[in-house]
Amino acid sequence: MPAWKKAGNLVASTVINLKEAMDKDIPHVLIDIRPADEAKKEHIKGAVSIPLNELATSKDRFPADKKAPIIIYCSTVKASEEAFAVVRKWGYSNLSYLDGSIEAWKKAGNPVVSGDLATTIVYVPKPRPGEISIDEFKGIAETKPGDKLILDVRDVDEASSGMLIGARNIPTKDITSKLSDIPKDKEIITHCITGVRAEMAYHQLKEAGYKVRFLNADIKIDKDGKYEITKE
Amino acid sequence: MFKKSTTLATAVLVAAGLFLLSSDGTTAEPAPKPKIAAPCKQCHAPDEKILRGGFAGVSKKAETIQIQIGPATWLVKFGDDTKLTGAEKFSAIPKEKEIAIAVTEKEGSLYATGVSVKPPAKIAPEKLMTTEDLSKLVAMGADKGNFTLVDSRPGARYNEGHIPGAISIYDAEFEKNAGKLPKEKDKLLVFYCAGAT
Repeated sequence: MPAWKKAGNLVASTVINLKEAMDKDIPHVLIDIRPADEAKKEHIKGAVSIPLNELATSKDRFPADKKAPIIIYCSTVKASEEAFAVVRKWGYSNLSYLDGSIEAWKKAGNPVVSGDLATTIVYVPKPRPGEISIDEFKGIAETKPGDKLILDVRDVDEASSGMLIGARNIPTKDITSKLSDIPKDKEIITHCITGVRAEMAYHQLKEAGYKVRFLNADIKIDKDGKYEITKE
Repeated sequence: MFKKSTTLATAVLVAAGLFLLSSDGTTAEPAPKPKIAAPCKQCHAPDEKILRGGFAGVSKKAETIQIQIGPATWLVKFGDDTKLTGAEKFSAIPKEKEIAIAVTEKEGSLYATGVSVKPPAKIAPEKLMTTEDLSKLVAMGADKGNFTLVDSRPGARYNEGHIPGAISIYDAEFEKNAGKLPKEKDKLLVFYCAGAT
């Protein structure tokens, strides 16, 4: 399957998968590529309308995350194939067309709706367990609330070139031996440079009974404590 | 039971809420974190000294590997003497790739003596079909091409995305689903899974 996908070949997904994504709130993008008036009459709830003839010029409307699960459906397999080829070329690796389209969806007893469809794709990837939002992290870095502590888990030499003001530095590899230096009565927020070590520290602290979250993003800090956070 | 440093082990138990205190003050054994992921059990027996699961990440600076085994996350330290097989370097291992880590205890932490990346299955070349040939068959359609394509991965993976026209028979439930295969024994059968390659 990985080789098949990598070669850009057509991939089908089932209505069971779509139903589960909807029921469990698993982030996904559903696109109705039929003509707008046809989609208006009857479509799957939550679908975004991008008719096939507009698709090629709609690249900017697609999510930044190339791993976003995208499901397209149409009235004919040929149109699905055509749409698949267009979107797959943009690098979306988790792209599929809905096997049996809206007919199979209805046949499985699932509801359809009528009326206007959304035309804007909204995709918010699910955070990893323990991940703090960038905005909340920034808020804590600015206001430094007394019940929270930012823990810089980079190595000492990395931290010496600049740390967030109010943060404490304990490298990931030393955490288990330095638990006594980490307050239990505060929520700990870990960060490193990319989120990898911060996540490891999160697991160590969580196992040790701490209330903890981590920053899953790239962060650059200068010697004055000024910082920049980016996420791909 | 794997031994960890006393302080850490106690903290872990408390954190997990599994510290069962009986009336006389003695403690009951908690449910241990799994050391082998369910799919790995198809071919490997559980082993106290080997962690089997999906590669979740690595930090060279922290000298730590993260492995996901079902719901559990394990952190294992490594060093220059950790033997890596199946990949040139840790950072070259794809996320979620099946790996096995031979572990020992060192200074109160788990330490990797060896890490091996699951190798591709050995299949005789005459039994292999290339993706290119398969895509020609798929384009032809199952009837005209006179073949049946079987997705051997778990049903949920099939639902998420499969090769058009494939039927789903999860390998672990193959015996009881053999009836789904075509009756004509001379028909071409093509199987695929999450990657021999």
